[in-house]
Amino acid sequence: MFEKLKDLCILNGASGDEKNVRDYIIKCIDGNAEYHTDNLGNLIVFKRGRKTPKNKIMLAAHMDEVGLIATSVRSDGTVTVDEIGGVSPSVVIGRQVNVGKDGLSGVVGSRAVHKLSADERKKAPEMSGLYVDFGAADREEALKYISPGDYIYFSSEYTEYGEGYVRCKAIDDRYGCCALIEMINSEPEYDAYYVFTVQEELGCRGAKTAAFAVKPDIAVVMETTTASDIPGVSGNKRVCEFGKGAVVSYMDRSTMYDRELYKIAFEAAAEKGIPCQTKTLIAGGNDSGAIHVSGSGVRTIAVSAPCRYLHSPSCVVKKSDLEACYKMAQELLSRTAQL
Amino acid sequence: MDINICLKELSEAEGVSGAEDAAAQTALEYLKQYTSDCFIKNGNVIANFGSRNCEAPHVLIDAHIDQVGLIVTYVGEDGFLNVGNVGGIDRRLLPGQHVIIHGRKDIPGTVCSVPPHLSGGKKGEVPEIDKFTIDTGLSQQKASEIIAPGDRISFDVKYREMLGGRVTCKALDDRSGAASIIYALELLKNEKIKCSFTVLFSTQEELGERGAKIAAYDIDPDIALAVDVSFGYTDGESEYECGKLGKGPMIGISPSLSGEISRSLISIAEKCGIPYQTEVMNGLTSTNADQFSVNRCGCKACTVSIPLRYMHTPVEVIDIQDVKNTGKLIAEYIKEAY
Repeated sequence: MFEKLKDLCILNGASGDEKNVRDYIIKCIDGNAEYHTDNLGNLIVFKRGRKTPKNKIMLAAHMDEVGLIATSVRSDGTVTVDEIGGVSPSVVIGRQVNVGKDGLSGVVGSRAVHKLSADERKKAPEMSGLYVDFGAADREEALKYISPGDYIYFSSEYTEYGEGYVRCKAIDDRYGCCALIEMINSEPEYDAYYVFTVQEELGCRGAKTAAFAVKPDIAVVMETTTASDIPGVSGNKRVCEFGKGAVVSYMDRSTMYDRELYKIAFEAAAEKGIPCQTKTLIAGGNDSGAIHVSGSGVRTIAVSAPCRYLHSPSCVVKKSDLEACYKMAQELLSRTAQL
Repeated sequence: MDINICLKELSEAEGVSGAEDAAAQTALEYLKQYTSDCFIKNGNVIANFGSRNCEAPHVLIDAHIDQVGLIVTYVGEDGFLNVGNVGGIDRRLLPGQHVIIHGRKDIPGTVCSVPPHLSGGKKGEVPEIDKFTIDTGLSQQKASEIIAPGDRISFDVKYREMLGGRVTCKALDDRSGAASIIYALELLKNEKIKCSFTVLFSTQEELGERGAKIAAYDIDPDIALAVDVSFGYTDGESEYECGKLGKGPMIGISPSLSGEISRSLISIAEKCGIPYQTEVMNGLTSTNADQFSVNRCGCKACTVSIPLRYMHTPVEVIDIQDVKNTGKLIAEYIKEAY
């Protein structure tokens, strides 16, 4: 599973540019399931299990990641950028990036700290003040390699460190993709749909059309969610914690989750000894927001891996939590099939 | 020698001020190819060339071997580390950076960043350095077995080549200076040199030119060139206060420097067709030249600087052609100096 996670995270696929990720997933599941790609780019997979369930179940994970988009090329050959999805300028400044279709080496520059006033040093950067320098001497040379609208990606290695930690860009939500691939390839108990969605980071746009096409009764969204279990953050502000397992929340900014599914998740956790926690803050959102109000409504639950430094080139997760999420998703599939 | 490989090896080697061992050792291996009289003393890498004589001056060619970074101050709860800065660090870019902690062994870490939805009222403000912590992924006990206060932390980045001969890495300040000096030695290796000279890769420049001070005392040069980096023009700066990447070494002119040496470097550059720029300062230079000039009974000092963008960040950028031209200028100067 972690080999695939590494491959998936390293692939570049910001919202609207998910082709590389989709092709990789197809390569993994080809021959094991029926699938098609819709007009928006969602990959919709149907996998027959050993039994046919009473309910039509859909599992979902999004393929896209946050990133940067080139907005203009300046006379000095540098490129102005804007965010795709929510990216804090603080994790953009001073990073190595890959630029344009050829993935050229570039950096996100800023004025040298020596030249800043005391006030400027304390002021967090803004996206409008950042730019990408990839060595082009001037605008003319730059335009040979990049055009406005081209994607720019964080250059990030997949690193395993500490006691079972993994760090890379795009773990949000390649982890979910990875879990779904594993389920498809593992001879599941029940028939189910598995959708790999596009443009989640732009407002769950792929999930909207995927859910419309599948028309599920029940949906399970596999995601990552913010863990703020770091120094200086205490009590409920930590949201969820590493090592405490799968995060199943009752409510976030996009969804009031199905009460019965929420109960079933915690029952499964208790019976099977799967570490499971809920969020201690109502924050964030995911594809559930679009799915649960699709058609005449879909009973929806989300299973998320706690992730530190979300939406940065340094998403960090703990392997034991990922394993807990995977087990939880399997349990939810079996337990909701005949509901 | 391949200048790119040399600079890659030097800049990827670790050497946060006061713990320059890896970088110093890498540089020393290069120096050994040109002289057997080379060694490390009190953190300074020193290599001597030629024998001293009263007919010619003794010249010191220096680049500092240290880099800015962080230092562990406390191994805290859940294995998170508190840190201090070593040299001038731009705190704005710390959140989420990948770092290497140089404990009993090198281990990866991540600088904590508070997610946007939790930044509360402090949005837009960069915390002081003592508010930053490093995520080691270890329990406090495990972390304590590997890491102790005083261990250095460096940015975890690799050397990358960009378009047009530009390259990026951490620590190009001042490994590109070191690379240019090694390149000069390569150019000089079959030349008959009249003067004697010493190459110094000095420790702790980022803490206030401390290595330069003690090395200059030992070396006692007549002339000293501090080969460092200076500000390359980027958006937001005034053009006349910066050098331009690719336009050659920046020769220092300042009341605190020797005008004779400045003029001599300029005329050599012109004679040899080496592109150069001037860097006019109005007093101290914030380089090792400030120490050299007032060493013992005094010394004629000058600066030769490689223009660099994004100084003291993990993504410093230089033009490799400037490193070569700086090396050429140093080599020509050594040939002429007597």
